[in-house]
Amino acid sequence: MKKTYKLIFISLFFINTSGFAQTNTLKINITPTFGAMVLQLADSLFNANDSTQLQVDVLKFYISKVQLLNDGKIVLEEKNSYHLIDASELKSVLLPIENKENIHFDELQFDLGLDSTTNVSGAMGGDLDPTKGMYWTWQSGFINFKLEGKSKLCKTRNSEFQFHLGGYQQPNYCIQTLRFQITNSNVINLKLDLKKILQQIDLAKTNHIMSPCLEAVLLSKIVANSLTVIEN
Amino acid sequence: MKRKLLILSLISLTIVAFRFIDNPLIVLPKIFPKPVYDFSKNPLSENKIKLGRALFYDPILSRNNMISCASCHSQFSAFTHVDHALSHGIEDKIGFRNSTTLMNLAWQSSFMRDGAINHLDMQALAPISNPVEMDESMIHVVSKLQSNQLYTKLFYKAFGDSVITGEHTLKAISQFMLTLVSCNSKYDSVMRKQTSFTEQENNGYKLFKKNCASCHNEPLFTNDEFRNNGLSLDTSLNDYGRYRVTKNPSDSLKFKVPTLRNIEFSYPYMHDGRFKKLSQVMNHYTNEVIKSKYLSPELDKSIVLSSNEKVDIIAFLLTLTDKSFLFNPQYFYPKEIFLESAKD
Repeated sequence: MKKTYKLIFISLFFINTSGFAQTNTLKINITPTFGAMVLQLADSLFNANDSTQLQVDVLKFYISKVQLLNDGKIVLEEKNSYHLIDASELKSVLLPIENKENIHFDELQFDLGLDSTTNVSGAMGGDLDPTKGMYWTWQSGFINFKLEGKSKLCKTRNSEFQFHLGGYQQPNYCIQTLRFQITNSNVINLKLDLKKILQQIDLAKTNHIMSPCLEAVLLSKIVANSLTVIEN
Repeated sequence: MKRKLLILSLISLTIVAFRFIDNPLIVLPKIFPKPVYDFSKNPLSENKIKLGRALFYDPILSRNNMISCASCHSQFSAFTHVDHALSHGIEDKIGFRNSTTLMNLAWQSSFMRDGAINHLDMQALAPISNPVEMDESMIHVVSKLQSNQLYTKLFYKAFGDSVITGEHTLKAISQFMLTLVSCNSKYDSVMRKQTSFTEQENNGYKLFKKNCASCHNEPLFTNDEFRNNGLSLDTSLNDYGRYRVTKNPSDSLKFKVPTLRNIEFSYPYMHDGRFKKLSQVMNHYTNEVIKSKYLSPELDKSIVLSSNEKVDIIAFLLTLTDKSFLFNPQYFYPKEIFLESAKD
């Protein structure tokens, strides 16, 4: 009997120390900024194109299908890869990597938004739960990117602007695939520069997009181009 | 001995096979095609269906706790809003369409008159948040359910977790709706060769197959597609149907082809409930179809029917009434669930 216990103990010890299935974590941080400043929600410090004050109240968006590549080939693909980035409670995207020391990567790829399959797959949980406020109710489909705030340029109620970008069917398919050159490190820092986005929108004319349309596709491209790697 | 063993194993194999074919929680009629709904992503269970049924009948889903799904979807009228051209919701606010019937939903690929909803699980979100229906938000519904002891118990029994989520709420409602299968009308009995049509019904059936069945095809009596059936635009509503969703001009005035099962009890008819009687529907198709570029091609050539032939078609349509569905106690208001909670 004692022998059996010893055997179990020794096997457990070897399993634990033999080195396989060692998991490390790659941390991906996405920091929303306004130019050089880190974004503070509901803070009307920011200047838009013509020095008019502007405030951002809501910033939420999905990234999905996170992958690492080496020489253009996928070396790691996250399973069930859906992350809601919410400026009101920023969290890092944690990517567990088994045997990290054996995996080399030089590029990070992910989608800004959710693909059409996810959009037609019914009720899902976690970051995709309909209570997250990122699902249209009057017409099926996820909102990929939500930006709401106020600007004196908007001749709207309370000077509000609202951009809810989404759409999973052509020609209004909004998803954007992004690829970044990165170094093989444990942390990847990205920033989303809202100044860059808002400078490209004439808020006096375009101050709300609430349904799938070509403007939403255009704006999704602008958002994608405003997401960049922070050089260390 | 060997023979006995062989017989025994054959019997057990048959029992196993039947278990796989017949899910006791839902009827999948042999004459129906393969369901569209993917049951593997939301496997049916007795407790989830029970929870879904409670949610369906509970006004807790609405802002003022007064309107439930059943308010606009009553069982005796094939789960639609009987007697109202346009359905009314919270604080008697009037909607802009006639509510749809709810049955055989596992075989539908899109929902609502314009197909705006792409999955049964997401369907309930629309009425919950519509300001003239329930005017509530999903996040608030979940928080109300979470603070209600009956629901923390029901969710725990259903999902093994008393933490309530939007996903579980919607999936439970789907489960109850999936059980609403209508397949026991006289028509179905005739198809199963258990009975036969009268002469008049049989004549109506022949005329139906000739004039109506290209869109209302058997056995579901809908092709699950969108069609412009030549109705005039009601300028007080300006409802362009499918166009509202796709913004494609060719979808102008197209609406989902509704099932005709239980049509005897689901009046008034059409997306805006403009016809109270089946005879008015018949007269529309023979005399009032408005020709336009995107009219359903089946209606390009006028349908010609005598008065007697119209009556015969209606006689056939009445064979689609399924009383075992309309009065199935499994779909009733679940007073036993709510009474149980009142005792606590």
